[in-house]
Amino acid sequence: MRGRALAGFAAAGLALSAVPFFGLPAFYESFLYLVLHWIVLAVSWNILSGYSGYFSFGHGAFFGAGMYTTATLATKAGVPFLWTLPAAGLVAAVFGVALGAVVFRLPRLRGELFALLTLAVTFVLATIVLNTSIDGGPGLVLSAVPLPAIGPSPSSTFYLLGLALALATLWIAREIQRSKLGTGLFAIHDDEDVAEVLGVPTYRYKLAAFGVSCGLAGIAGGIQAMFVSYVTVGETFSIAVPLYVVLMSVLGGSRHWFGPAVGAAVVTALLYAFTAGDYAVAGRAAVGLILILVILFLPEGIFGQAVRALERRRVSAAPAIDAADPPAPSAATPGKAEGKTLLEARGLSKAFRGVQALAEVDLEVRRGEILGLVGPNGSGKSTLINLVSGHFRPDSGRILFEGRDLAALQAHRIARTGLARTYQIPRPFAHLSVLENVALPAMFGRDALPRGEAGHEARRWLAFTGLAAKAMSLPGELNLHQRKFLELARALASRPGLLLLDEVFSGLTHAEIDDAIRLIRAIRAQGATIVFVEHVIRAVMELTDRIVVLSYGRVIAEGDPRAVMREPDVVAAYLGKPHA
Amino acid sequence: MALPSLTLLGQSLLSGIFIGALYGLLGLGLSLSWGMLRQINLAHFALAFLGAYLTYQLAGAGMDPLATLAVIVPCFFALGALMHWLLARFSVSAFNSLLVTFGLTAIIEALIQWIWTADFRRMESAYGEVKFRVGGLYVALPELLTLAMALALSLAAWAWLRHTYTGKAMRAIAEDAPIAAAFGVDVRGLSLLLSGLCAAFAGVAGLCLALSYTLAPGQIYAWLGVVFAAVMLGGLGNPLGPLVAGIVIGVSEALTMAFTAPAWAPLVSFSLLIVVLLARPGRI
Amino acid sequence: MLEVERIRVSYGAAPAISEVSIRIGPGELACVVGPNGAGKTTLINAIAGLHSIEAGALRLDGRDLSRLPRHAFCGEGIAIVPEGRRLFAGMSVRENLELGSYRRAARARRAESLERVCGVFPILRERLEQPAGTLSGGQQQMLAIGRALMAQPRLLLLDEPSLGLAPAVVLAVLDVIKQINAGGVAVLLVEQNAALALEIAARAYVLEEGRIAAEGSPEALLAQPHIRRAYLG
Repeated sequence: MRGRALAGFAAAGLALSAVPFFGLPAFYESFLYLVLHWIVLAVSWNILSGYSGYFSFGHGAFFGAGMYTTATLATKAGVPFLWTLPAAGLVAAVFGVALGAVVFRLPRLRGELFALLTLAVTFVLATIVLNTSIDGGPGLVLSAVPLPAIGPSPSSTFYLLGLALALATLWIAREIQRSKLGTGLFAIHDDEDVAEVLGVPTYRYKLAAFGVSCGLAGIAGGIQAMFVSYVTVGETFSIAVPLYVVLMSVLGGSRHWFGPAVGAAVVTALLYAFTAGDYAVAGRAAVGLILILVILFLPEGIFGQAVRALERRRVSAAPAIDAADPPAPSAATPGKAEGKTLLEARGLSKAFRGVQALAEVDLEVRRGEILGLVGPNGSGKSTLINLVSGHFRPDSGRILFEGRDLAALQAHRIARTGLARTYQIPRPFAHLSVLENVALPAMFGRDALPRGEAGHEARRWLAFTGLAAKAMSLPGELNLHQRKFLELARALASRPGLLLLDEVFSGLTHAEIDDAIRLIRAIRAQGATIVFVEHVIRAVMELTDRIVVLSYGRVIAEGDPRAVMREPDVVAAYLGKPHA
Repeated sequence: MALPSLTLLGQSLLSGIFIGALYGLLGLGLSLSWGMLRQINLAHFALAFLGAYLTYQLAGAGMDPLATLAVIVPCFFALGALMHWLLARFSVSAFNSLLVTFGLTAIIEALIQWIWTADFRRMESAYGEVKFRVGGLYVALPELLTLAMALALSLAAWAWLRHTYTGKAMRAIAEDAPIAAAFGVDVRGLSLLLSGLCAAFAGVAGLCLALSYTLAPGQIYAWLGVVFAAVMLGGLGNPLGPLVAGIVIGVSEALTMAFTAPAWAPLVSFSLLIVVLLARPGRI
Repeated sequence: MLEVERIRVSYGAAPAISEVSIRIGPGELACVVGPNGAGKTTLINAIAGLHSIEAGALRLDGRDLSRLPRHAFCGEGIAIVPEGRRLFAGMSVRENLELGSYRRAARARRAESLERVCGVFPILRERLEQPAGTLSGGQQQMLAIGRALMAQPRLLLLDEPSLGLAPAVVLAVLDVIKQINAGGVAVLLVEQNAALALEIAARAYVLEEGRIAAEGSPEALLAQPHIRRAYLG
């Protein structure tokens, strides 16, 4: 697959690099260079912003950093032009990573705040460049810098440089999309918290994507500095770069590596057509209008829409999987260890805005058992699951899982210790297919399977939960029952040592509950340890070995389900007989 | 570096307050529509410039610049309401409203350039020449007018939101629109009203721009960063926030200019913004 | 007084409730019980105008409400204590109560209603100028009920008022509900805590999987063994 794609890229590269030898007027070569230039900027922007949804309005800053790096090195230090390009990329990448290292630590800075912050950074950088000896006001002139004769003419040299960088950028964007990094980024786009809980190291991934994205923009800036040969702050750090880059990606489709390239080609050609006809003003208005229309009517972009249509047709071609072959969910459940403590919580407390959700809770989960966690609404059951899975940090107390304290670990590290959870209200990644949803935890869980194997594993779990026919659907097309099972499949695919189920049965019909009970029995039969929070008494009674009853954030009873459910305290708290 | 004289310092402070008032005036509508309706209207700046050019045009035809408000305010009110209707009709998210209004900005900019060309335009009016001397300091009438309007509109918006039934209903919409509706608040009507008002504020800001500044289409973007900084520093949806934050930024800029080179001024607002975003992201 | 006739409400493609019919007489206290996710909240929200109704009819004293704009339901005399309270957290307790009396008919009697609410919940009087978000859970529930009372409703809708409250507070809230009902206000109570709801209601509906599974007097329902088992353990 990769070999064929590589051959395709090489062939396209060879074919396109022959263009300068047809003797086109320099004018056309320059135009083609500009198309390639915008392709690099748009595709590189998309690596962070399109994939992960962190829309940066600061691409101009990194592009500009590259421009000024090349301009400064070439004019003031006499570094040969080609040697300045890696430096341009490096400076921009380091700048981006440094910014990201601060910004990505703050979970509130998503969406529009991230966009505006990066825009502000652009202006700050512009001011600094303008007022220091980097520029100082008059701009930098590169006309005296020698241009290496790669092509037969200067314009063809730029074309070839642009072509090389564009192909490299597209290749990188493609590889990232198809790698673990890409899968993680797309998951971050849909639900960053869930991604983290499933084992995606969100912080590092965002940083990596930002670094690559900025580095490529920096190299493009380096070439552009030479192309325009006169670099000024006003032109470099203008609003045009972020505006056009966002437009191109949104227009082409930001969920696919190739989408922004389509958008870049269309927009550049459009702008060129208007400029050539002396309607530059109308051209900008047209670009603005197109942006509005695309957002209102084509939210997936031209290319995105086309790809979606293609994928629909491929659904029927999905290979069938033998449902009778579910893999062992836990790699670490040898029968001999049964009955020993797997998870132990001591003195766990958590308060939200003054409300004590959990107070000094002790809990023990034994290997191989099914432990039911019951209690009235608001008694702290979900909070307990959220603490164990790392969604929140406890105010005090320890959580020991196979001897390791989880309370100090980041959520994605907890996932890697072999712990998985479901959400009461299913939280699938809305833009990933059912198959991709389930493959993700297999890639990021304890076994960290490679992509191909993870897909295979996912198919088996989908077959196990009866969702095989829906593998290529989007989660939005599933009904509640199917989405609940998708949650389950997603948790199982990481082959967890401990499975935390948060109200799997709520909202299901009687028949569906019977299904789910059968499924959980099957999971259990393979030796998994399960903690489940439940309201449906029937399921609790049929499935659990032991139950723990919570009320107002405290454990009020635990032990054999039938005995505990008869205790008067439990009856009063859980079933609400205030007068009893 | 020589310390500036006391007079120069006073004059800087004063000009900082005045430019801050304009930041606040430009930020008022932006802050209210972002904070209360979750619509980030980038086109607010383009609207303000459109207002400025219209004032320029009408004043050139012999109208008193202040009288142009009688035309501009109702027109912009309708425009703002129309924009909101469109965004609501397609239920555009906060983020996408940023993109849509980005596009709208480009269209309005092109429109301005098409009608009035890219040349610099300067409105000639009787107000422009009037200057008062207070102690050793000069105060120009247009700047004073800007401060007065910014104060009046911000205080009026504050009083409306704080003390009237419809104002409180507006705040309730910002907190939980469906529940507000369940208690009888006409969410659609009030949202249209607020959007109209925000656009009308842009029109008034446009008048002030035309009174004090030379106009060019490219200038639209020059205000964007500073005013966003003022809006975010002031707290979204807070009617007094942009003015207070605007004056803080304006004065810091003016002092930066007085003590260092003028070109360093933009760094102040953005540094302030970045510090606030990083230090207290929850506040925005 | 309230007639809900075979209504259907959907989220996306899947109907959340369908063919649901309930009736509440003037001054009656009715309850809807059922498991999580059965559609109880959807039903009560539809009656309050928070969701639009796809099919069926919703009549209050014979007037059809299903075509009314959302903000007009309150004007007909319906007020809701929504699931999760949904107070205007950044606004003061007083402002929350004032918004309760936003509808025209209630505005004129605002001072009188405020006195009444503060009489029922004295703690609110002490906290009038405090932001609603800083109240404790129980106080927030009282404020949510107070806000609905400010609307001078003829029909009060309560969605899980016992949720997350300490038993003593639950009892206090129940007493208030009974008291309000005794004052002539019809009440529709949605509760997951079936024992609680069946104890005070005059008529009960069991909602399962988006449909009415049983209805009648609480005694009659409790006499059916499968309902006892399903809801009372």
